[in-house]
Amino acid sequence: MELPRSPGPAAERASARWLAGVLGATLAVLGAGAAFVAWVDPFQQYHLATHYPPRFYFLHHRYINPGLAKNQPYDTVVSGSSIMENTRNDFVARVCGGAAVNLSMPAMSASEQRLMIETALADRPLKRVILVLDFNEFAGGVDERQDVAGPLPRFLYDRNPFNDLPYLLSWDVLAKSWRIVSGDTSERFTSDPNAAWFWGDVVRFGRDQVLRGLDMEHLNARYQQPQRTLEGMRASFNHNLLPLLRAHSETEFDLAWPPYSILVWLDFAQRDQVQVSLDFKRYVFEATRALANVRITDLQNDAAITHDLGLYHDIYHFAPSINARLVEATCKGRSRVDADSVDEFERQLRAQVMKVNTPVGLATAIGAPDRATGEATR
Amino acid sequence: MLFNSYEYLIYFLPLSLAVYFLLGRKAAWAVGWLVVASLFFYGWWNPKYLPLILASIGFNFAIGRALHRRPRQSKALLALGVGANLVLLGVFKYANFAVRNTADLTGLPLALPHIVLPLGISFFTFTQIAYLVDVHRGKAQEPSLLNYALFVSFFPHLLAGPILHHSEMMPQFASATNKRPQAFHLAAGLFLLAIGLAKKVCIADPLAAVAAAGFDHPEAISALTAWLAVLAYTLQIYFDFSGYTDMALGAARMFNIQMPVNFNSPYHAANIREFWQRWHMTLSRFLREYLYIPLGGNRHGEWRTTGAILATFLLGGLWHGAAWTFVAWGALHGCALVCLRAWERTGLHLPRGIAWALTFLFVMVTWVFFRASSLPAAGAMLRAMAGANPNGEPLQEALRHGLAADAQTPALVVAIVLLGGVAVLALRRNSNAMAQDFRPTWPRGAAVAVGLVWSVLQLGKVTPFLYFNF
Repeated sequence: MELPRSPGPAAERASARWLAGVLGATLAVLGAGAAFVAWVDPFQQYHLATHYPPRFYFLHHRYINPGLAKNQPYDTVVSGSSIMENTRNDFVARVCGGAAVNLSMPAMSASEQRLMIETALADRPLKRVILVLDFNEFAGGVDERQDVAGPLPRFLYDRNPFNDLPYLLSWDVLAKSWRIVSGDTSERFTSDPNAAWFWGDVVRFGRDQVLRGLDMEHLNARYQQPQRTLEGMRASFNHNLLPLLRAHSETEFDLAWPPYSILVWLDFAQRDQVQVSLDFKRYVFEATRALANVRITDLQNDAAITHDLGLYHDIYHFAPSINARLVEATCKGRSRVDADSVDEFERQLRAQVMKVNTPVGLATAIGAPDRATGEATR
Repeated sequence: MLFNSYEYLIYFLPLSLAVYFLLGRKAAWAVGWLVVASLFFYGWWNPKYLPLILASIGFNFAIGRALHRRPRQSKALLALGVGANLVLLGVFKYANFAVRNTADLTGLPLALPHIVLPLGISFFTFTQIAYLVDVHRGKAQEPSLLNYALFVSFFPHLLAGPILHHSEMMPQFASATNKRPQAFHLAAGLFLLAIGLAKKVCIADPLAAVAAAGFDHPEAISALTAWLAVLAYTLQIYFDFSGYTDMALGAARMFNIQMPVNFNSPYHAANIREFWQRWHMTLSRFLREYLYIPLGGNRHGEWRTTGAILATFLLGGLWHGAAWTFVAWGALHGCALVCLRAWERTGLHLPRGIAWALTFLFVMVTWVFFRASSLPAAGAMLRAMAGANPNGEPLQEALRHGLAADAQTPALVVAIVLLGGVAVLALRRNSNAMAQDFRPTWPRGAAVAVGLVWSVLQLGKVTPFLYFNF
């Protein structure tokens, strides 16, 4: 096998000119495109949007949050899954003091939470980090991610510009940049920097909304959440969050257990996940009790919230007023879990779960006719 | 590292070329650089498999040297070398498959070993088996470990072929002329690379979403959707694999290395033998030289020939993946070749148009086994194609369920599929033919620049959170 022969010196010279022309034109166009994207910066990776109203694109958390983490002024971070998206930065700042940024993202895994907080901590010391813990984020392996979350653009979670080419040389980003410059608002986005991911004003909350389409005997049929093991959850916590808490003793970490509706615990009971969940909560307490910079807040046994389905959009997602209560409790030191209260928190929650896992208890919880007596209970 | 990635196109390839030609006057340095660069390329995805490929290279080089030095023991050494390579392939590629089937057959509660398939293991193992056989036959010998390492690891062919012969590569690597930059070959290589990149990124990737929309829910789609999905996959696999091969050949050409052609318009074939003479040609060559002919080929009567054909295709199918679907796919192609031989003995001839249509239809239908996740899934797809789902989803619904394809309209999808089909059928000259008589004209240059810009911009897709239940 041989290489085709070069046609000669003239062809070599013509080829050199051709190469220079083609590569020059290609690099010039790509360079101009990259410069345009860096200037407009629709995902705010290099600077905050100042010469146009910022665009927080619908469900683009994983692309925009690292930009906010790198460029927004703040000393307090809120990090959680979609249940924490209705937390306003200015509210957190007012209640907790300092400037805040909400870096929550839907279907977040523990490894993503770690990456997000590491990105925030890489640039500046933080006064406070509110980590809202979801049981499901600790499912699977230590680096587990949900497929529906889409690919994670890791290249945006650092300050290395040389790996940013998928951002700078992307037709999708180029088109977004052009739409910003041309004033095209056809894409779905919000522009309030205090509420980048807020959805509480566009959905309905209420009992009917929560119960819609639910199979009460198999609640997970709709949500398809994975089974968890204590061993796996502990491994994920130890791998992803515990090192962060230990490595940044100058930062106060508030771990918060969010108030899911009581139907989430009924789902756990139906799937034999109650004990795993309670054991994991106990493990998190034991693993962090010696760390002076870590506190735990728990609203999961607050029946005034968890039993009022009017406060929920579905069995997991609560109204913005509950986000506010969770932040307030965290920063004002209410519902704090400590050595004196940890047993009582668990006892109360266990009792509530046992009660809801009975026909009468369920009927009371969902306000439906009691299947035994046919009587409406609420 | 993938050819269709920013890090390869913007950083790795230009840097590899520049340093290689800078070191070109010192041959050993240039070769050493290319080996290091190739191993870096291989380890980019997961460095933990670097020791495996290094051990494989070292072992096969040692066996090759021993074969050359001890001809009286060459049969035993060859058996040891080939056997060890097959064991390596068996452990990493087929252990899970074997354990799963043993457990299914016996009912024993066997635990599946947690083995991740190292990239390119099928290719670098077959390349080295061919080398050992060639040394045994006296057709090859390699005294330099560095040269041998380059022959195996040269990054353009490392992950997806072509499967090379030592004798066709080493004279090119040894040539001093080839270590000087040659603008003509750089230009021709860039031209071929641009064609391959556009085939992969602009045609194959959009087609993949259409194919997935059908293959992910075969029990729920209409006959028309099923046929469209299978046609989309038929075109996707060609544009994907041949595009990737074009990029490999283009990169090698930039280093002044000519690698063997792997695809020669396979969908123009008018019978199944011709198809295999045009599709993944270096694999066909390997299977023919190192399996079919040693099994007897066509020298021992029709029954032995039939057996050799079927064994070759069954193993060829299994080489593509550890699943019964690949075995079935190989078996169908083997049977088709046996039938073709029987047909040819009758002396009858079909008009070329009808022969082409039958061949294309057969190849297309058998891709169902190649793409389906299991034999039952393949069966469901074939039933859908036969109209078993009268109330099945039309294309629009199927695309909506395919998350990756949710941005595509049916009209766009049909346009992509039809354009892909027209491109396959209408273009009389394929990319290799165009690269073979390349001339640096400006219209061609403009097309390359536009193709490169457009393809590079398509690499960085922004894919937001895909599921929203509010």
